[in-house]
Amino acid sequence: MGTEMADFDSPQKLSGVPPPEGMGGGRCSEISTELIRSLTELQELEAVYERLCGEEKVVERELDALLEQQNTIESKMVTLHRMGPNLQLIEGDAKQLAGMITFTCNLAENVSSKVRQLDLAKNRLYQAIQRADDILDLKFCMDGVQTALRNEDYEQAAAHIHRYLCLDKSVIELSRQGKEGSMIDANLKLLQEAEKRLKAIVTEKFAIATKEGDLPQVERFFKIFPLLGLHEEGLSKFSEYLCKQVASKAEENLLLVLGTDMSDRRAAVIFADTLTLLFEGIARIVETHQPIVETYYGPGRLYTLIKYLQVECDRQVEKVVDKFIKQRDYHQQFRHVQNSLMRNSTTEKIEPRELDPILTEVTLMNARSELYLRFLRKRISSDFEVGDSMASEEVKQEHQKCLDKLLNNCLLSCTMQELIGFYITMEEYFMRETVNKAVALDTYEKGQLTSSMVDDVFYIVKKCIGRALSSSSIDCLCAMINLATTELESDFRDVLCNKLRMGFPATTLQDIQRGVTSAVNIMHSSLQQGKFDTKGIESTDEAKLSFLVTLNNVEVCSENISTLKKTLESDCTKLFSQGIGGEQAQAKFDSCLSDLAAVSSKFRDLLQEGLTELNSTAIKPQVQPWINTFLSVSHNIEEEEFNDYEANDPWVQQFILNLEQQMAEFKASLSPVIYDSLTGLMTSLVAVELERVVLKSTFNRLGGLQFDKELRSLIAYLTTVTTWTIRDKFARLSQMATILNLERVTEILDYWGANSGPLTWRLTPAEVRQVLALRMDFRSEDIKRLRL
Amino acid sequence: MSMEDYDFLFKIVLIGNAGVGKTCLVRRFTQGLFPPGQGATIGVDFMIKTVEINGEKVKMLHLLMGRQRRSELQIWDTAGQERFRSITQSYYRSANALILTYDITCEESFRCLPEWLREIEQYASNKVITVLVGNKIDLAERREVSQQRAEEFSEAQDMYYLETSAKESDNVEKLFLDLACRLISEARQNTLVNNVSSPLPGEGKSISYLTCCNFN
Repeated sequence: MGTEMADFDSPQKLSGVPPPEGMGGGRCSEISTELIRSLTELQELEAVYERLCGEEKVVERELDALLEQQNTIESKMVTLHRMGPNLQLIEGDAKQLAGMITFTCNLAENVSSKVRQLDLAKNRLYQAIQRADDILDLKFCMDGVQTALRNEDYEQAAAHIHRYLCLDKSVIELSRQGKEGSMIDANLKLLQEAEKRLKAIVTEKFAIATKEGDLPQVERFFKIFPLLGLHEEGLSKFSEYLCKQVASKAEENLLLVLGTDMSDRRAAVIFADTLTLLFEGIARIVETHQPIVETYYGPGRLYTLIKYLQVECDRQVEKVVDKFIKQRDYHQQFRHVQNSLMRNSTTEKIEPRELDPILTEVTLMNARSELYLRFLRKRISSDFEVGDSMASEEVKQEHQKCLDKLLNNCLLSCTMQELIGFYITMEEYFMRETVNKAVALDTYEKGQLTSSMVDDVFYIVKKCIGRALSSSSIDCLCAMINLATTELESDFRDVLCNKLRMGFPATTLQDIQRGVTSAVNIMHSSLQQGKFDTKGIESTDEAKLSFLVTLNNVEVCSENISTLKKTLESDCTKLFSQGIGGEQAQAKFDSCLSDLAAVSSKFRDLLQEGLTELNSTAIKPQVQPWINTFLSVSHNIEEEEFNDYEANDPWVQQFILNLEQQMAEFKASLSPVIYDSLTGLMTSLVAVELERVVLKSTFNRLGGLQFDKELRSLIAYLTTVTTWTIRDKFARLSQMATILNLERVTEILDYWGANSGPLTWRLTPAEVRQVLALRMDFRSEDIKRLRL
Repeated sequence: MSMEDYDFLFKIVLIGNAGVGKTCLVRRFTQGLFPPGQGATIGVDFMIKTVEINGEKVKMLHLLMGRQRRSELQIWDTAGQERFRSITQSYYRSANALILTYDITCEESFRCLPEWLREIEQYASNKVITVLVGNKIDLAERREVSQQRAEEFSEAQDMYYLETSAKESDNVEKLFLDLACRLISEARQNTLVNNVSSPLPGEGKSISYLTCCNFN
């Protein structure tokens, strides 16, 4: 800080230069008299004199300038003097104005206070009028009630009571303290008595009307309750009446059920039908009476009505379900199924087909219940919504909670959940047993690629999931999807796995010779039998066919699962668009479905493993010796032999023929997709094996040319049998052929490194040297000398 | 819900008696809420939370280049009531982990554990990780099941044990995040094993389905 100050001060001290000329008016010259006196030299004196003369001139100029200004200043003074009186005038005016403003202000304040007083008076007047009106109303009500009661005009009487009940209680209290207090007191007493009487009458009349089932009278008095402030009572009494109707109708229906002939068209779903009638009846009641409740009881009251109705609904549902359980032996069947599901259970198994109708009925029952509950939810929610449009968030949540509690905890929901719980176990059993049966009865028809069980199994799985879906319960559907996933992924996959595990029988020497005929034989034998029994595999041919059919089965399974997923997805879009199951439903369903879809790839993996197995046990043992014969064909040949090879192909044509014969067997029995994968594996095998034998052979220039021709024929053939690009698989061999075809060792450099052009070498430099060394006519020194 | 934005997906299923606080545990973890007066779960509730877990650098190089690992936890909160048992059971098999929950203030919920374990034995995959959770430690004064007893039980059953409070949020994060870590390390081991054993096409290596198909 201190240094800053110092820094700040110092420039001022330094800048103590003399003021500029022209500004020095009135100041002494800077040349002091003492200085002049002390001068002795003429030169110095002259210099000083000159400077003084200069200064004088400057002073004179300044003086002239000042004198010139005198006129202007004087004229300005004159004007100022003239303005003086005006200013005094303005001052007076301003004082006057201020006085007026103060006056006006006072006046305004006076006026407004009076207005305020008036306002107050007016309000009091209104209140007085209101009270007078109220008192008049009160009197009017007192008189009116009496007359109305006498005339049995209960609506009118109730309207008067309603008016009285709406009156401000404090007004009545104040009126009683007034002059006419005693009279009002008496009247009030009368009015209260009338209220009590009316309540009693209405209750009684309502009771009589309900007893007699006189709907117009019931509705008449139902409308009066809210006027008397008896909302709850009205609703509860009215519900009681409605419940009785529901009960008697339900009883009637149940009796009809017990009398139903088993041959009736609807006999199998009679309990579902009975529930439907019950639900429809209640829905109709709600539909019919909702307007009255809304109009006379206000919004938000429908919940109360339905709460009462649901109690009766639960009671009736219990009866119907009890009968259902008894008549259909539901619990008995469930226990039986549960025992059968235990592994190594000894009890006699229940025939799955027998479960079919009951499973359908249960899902139908649940679907009806869901529909009914959804109807209630919609009605109650929208009724609450109207009432809660101005309500706080808490009230809304409270109402939502009440609604959830009512619908989730009602006996109907719990009973259905219990039935569905049993249903899932029984459906699981149905699925498992029917699948087992389909596997046991598996047949193979000639001309088909797959056997019967694949279609059968997927038909069953689809049926079971479809039935679960028809229950409208998302949890039920998801559970069945999970169980189907388990069934397909472990049990059914195991079946196919076991068949593949038996393997493709190793081919004997005769089989090689028979080649294509074996496939024909299998076809022939299956034609004679009409069926192919996949259970007891005795002959090698049958074992082979079983393996191939299983491969086809596995592929179709993988595809069927994807199809099933898509079908279910589109089926459920409809369900979700109706808002079934809440916000989580879709996510739950998607997750379960993606697990199911994942099984598809497990089947694909199994297919791949089976194919690999087939390739290594069936193709490789045959292809290897065919390729080994390449070693016995000399590729160290002269012109004469080369020409002879042209006429009498030594190897490749026979090899192609053999391959063709062998693959024909598979082509006939495998699906195009699998066959294609198999040829893919086969070509890879050929490429690897051929490379092996080539590296064991020796070549000269013409031998190299011969190999190049052979390789081209082979690639040309393989290209025709597979849709895969095989160029890539044979890239190494083609490059080897190129090397074996070179004129000189150094010619490789025309193709290597910078000269390779579009060619990507798959051979390492070491491998290139190795292949070059196969040429008898190339000198090893030349090869060593190469710079690769 | 972006299905692509994760490296692992694990299904965790919560089981245990009704009212032990399964839903509250899940809500606390996924939403940070503890809604009092929770109604009973109907069937199955389903919630998803994606968590990020820093893997060890060395191991991460094998699988992903230095990225943070996201894993999506699908949490299936099942109803404890008997009537939902067949729905609940259908989820066991695909579960990567099971959280078996009991209430430390309720002896009965602890005594039912063997029954739940039998179910797990019967329905769940044998590779499933099971965690035993004693919930409601905020009600310590009403404790009926001692920690030692639970620890001994879980040790005998070869389960990881943790005590939680969904209300006070004690150990809830730890429960799910530790579980996610274990699931990740297990998944890594499996991919390593698979990479070694899967034969390359065209090579006649041993066929894996001959060895791996021993369910039942």
